[in-house]
Amino acid sequence: MPKSKSAKKLPPTAGKARFNVGDRVRVKDLPNLFYSRTQMYVRGIVGTVAAHTYQDVIPEDEAFNRDGRLEQYYIVRFRQKDLWPEYPFDNDTLQTESPERWLEPA
Amino acid sequence: MPARYDLREQQELIGSLQPAIHLPQNWNYELSAPLFKAYMHPPHDVGGQFDVPVQYEEKEEEQWELDTYVTCEVLGWKGIWNSEERRRRADNDLGYALYLGIPYYGRWILAAARMLVDKNHISLVELVEKIAEVKARNAKK
Repeated sequence: MPKSKSAKKLPPTAGKARFNVGDRVRVKDLPNLFYSRTQMYVRGIVGTVAAHTYQDVIPEDEAFNRDGRLEQYYIVRFRQKDLWPEYPFDNDTLQTESPERWLEPA
Repeated sequence: MPARYDLREQQELIGSLQPAIHLPQNWNYELSAPLFKAYMHPPHDVGGQFDVPVQYEEKEEEQWELDTYVTCEVLGWKGIWNSEERRRRADNDLGYALYLGIPYYGRWILAAARMLVDKNHISLVELVEKIAEVKARNAKK
């Protein structure tokens, strides 16, 4: 049954961000089951934290209507050549966004 | 009642939609790890996936598409579902065959209907009978 809107509690905050801008991070390759917003092509690839964005619930919780816990989100920058080995230009990069639990220090 | 010939034609069409177009699959007893991973892949609209060439068409939204959009937004505004649940239901829960085969707003309205049934806002019988009633009304026109 739908949850009452008035009873909605705010989830706890994430606290201090684990990664700083400039840190090297690898995207985890967790099993896919039912739902994920983490693109296949960044999994296992090392990138650089470009920015902190905001704290929010993670997609895996929100997609099932769980309030969960807030997590820090990051903009991570990858070299295109690391993502697509046949990519022709060395300096081009791609940025995407990831919550903290999908990242590990590299 | 459908004629037997129509039924056979419909069954053949359903058979041709089996998700594995390239590899025949039918309730496998064994599955390799990569094939399992491929089946579990949650499709989404964020790119990076291989695709077949498609014809791009410039097309205005039709009235049913606008109605679907508004219906889905109102359900969100009323707190019945959130945007991530909508993505999960319309992109992933339908399965790959429907994800690829149904028009964009067709997926939205299917996802909304399923959600309303799942959460007991309407019953499946109620919904199916209403659809049959509208079909019968339209057939008379």
